[in-house]
Amino acid sequence: MNSARNHEGLKSARFIMVLSSISPLFILWAVRGSKLIPNAYFVGACVLLVIFPNAFLFLRRWAAKKQNDTREIVIGKAEDHRDHLLVYLFAMLLPFYTTSLADWREFSATLVAVCFIIFLFWNLNLHYMNVLFAAMGYRIFTVYPPEDKNPLSGKQSIVVITRRATMFPGQRIVPYRLSNSVYWEVG
Amino acid sequence: MPLNFRFDRIRSTSFGVGHEDDEADSFSLVPVDAEVQNALAEMAQGTWEAIQGLDIDGTEYQPSEKYGSQEYVFLPLASDLAARLRQLHEAANMELNAQALSHPASLFCYFASFLDQSDNRLTAVRRATQFKGIVKSRLVQFITDSMKLVEDDTFKLDRDFDMLIDSERVHILRPSGFEAIGQLQEAICAAVPANILEIGREMEFVDFASIGEYAQRHPRAARYLASIRAQRETQNISPNLLTAACRKYAIQFQQTNGRIVVMPGSEMEFLNVLDRRMYELELVEGRPERYRASSRQRLGN
Repeated sequence: MNSARNHEGLKSARFIMVLSSISPLFILWAVRGSKLIPNAYFVGACVLLVIFPNAFLFLRRWAAKKQNDTREIVIGKAEDHRDHLLVYLFAMLLPFYTTSLADWREFSATLVAVCFIIFLFWNLNLHYMNVLFAAMGYRIFTVYPPEDKNPLSGKQSIVVITRRATMFPGQRIVPYRLSNSVYWEVG
Repeated sequence: MPLNFRFDRIRSTSFGVGHEDDEADSFSLVPVDAEVQNALAEMAQGTWEAIQGLDIDGTEYQPSEKYGSQEYVFLPLASDLAARLRQLHEAANMELNAQALSHPASLFCYFASFLDQSDNRLTAVRRATQFKGIVKSRLVQFITDSMKLVEDDTFKLDRDFDMLIDSERVHILRPSGFEAIGQLQEAICAAVPANILEIGREMEFVDFASIGEYAQRHPRAARYLASIRAQRETQNISPNLLTAACRKYAIQFQQTNGRIVVMPGSEMEFLNVLDRRMYELELVEGRPERYRASSRQRLGN
């Protein structure tokens, strides 16, 4: 009876959260600088790209708390995906950090590649991949719904950002909604 | 009858709608803000207060009964008749779809799901009438001292829900809403073969083949069958007393190989007897009066 389509929603919010997740790259670029663009502009742009998305992320969390935008989640199976951060670090941050920004072709190619990465993160719902969460002591779990043969139960996995060390099958949690696939358990 | 839920300790509130799709009906959650959540909780509490105001104990729902617009009846959540609502109540991590209100004409119900601090879940369901109908009309609103048209799509919540579902029962305030949302008619018609099989097993002295065929074509008879099975009172029926009752109420039947075969045209009356709806009173001496009860309630034991 349930639709198989995934109505993800909050597209703009997810896009800005992807920008937030790659903000360490902008910090690295700001430290390195570029010979092509004056420091004031380049560093200013990088700082903006760090501050604005992260401010938005916390604004989204604040709005979710204010509106009590919660949802009851029943744990079927939960996987701790801290290792995704390592993949993220090696697959994205280090390659882009080592890329030369010394000439316009390299610089343009890097920007295009970053755009591809942003699109992939956005499209694959990887906006939860954020070093900031780890720095704040949060773990990232991928939660699968229980296999209860109920046609109305959800079939999609979701991501829960939480300080819990473990999650067990049958447990009910009430986290705040950052997007339809990413939830944040405060406290 | 107590409700397995604490309204003063609500931990989470979710809102959702049911859609009539081309293929099948579907349900999805819709994000709502804190004010709507409070309104939904007030509606659910108002529903429980209305139920308690009608009849604190209530009676078990029977498909063969004709109910008023508001009556407190309940149904065990494990009942076959509550299958659809049980799925709704027990669904885990239902799909969230912020666009679910884009096609209000296809909405057939809306619901709220509450979780209290003790992890008790309460599901409140309402048939969508005002909720989808209001978008067809233009609303007016008082802003400052002048009346203005509200052009946005507006959804109006009702004052209460049709039913509440806790961990044990479906508490029904409006039986018609319960029957529509629970798709009782379809469920009862689909259950005719199973009901015939079960009743026939307990009353081997009756040939139910013709009654089964009749019930497939007549929803009222299908409801009686569901009710007879739900009462679980067929096991010890005496063949002699049953044939005597049939004669008394002029039900046409014949006995073939020791089995009662109900003749065409008498199926409904026979089901009336099994569903304890035929009765006789003799208040004037020598003039017994026979009646068929459209509604009945058992007195004592």
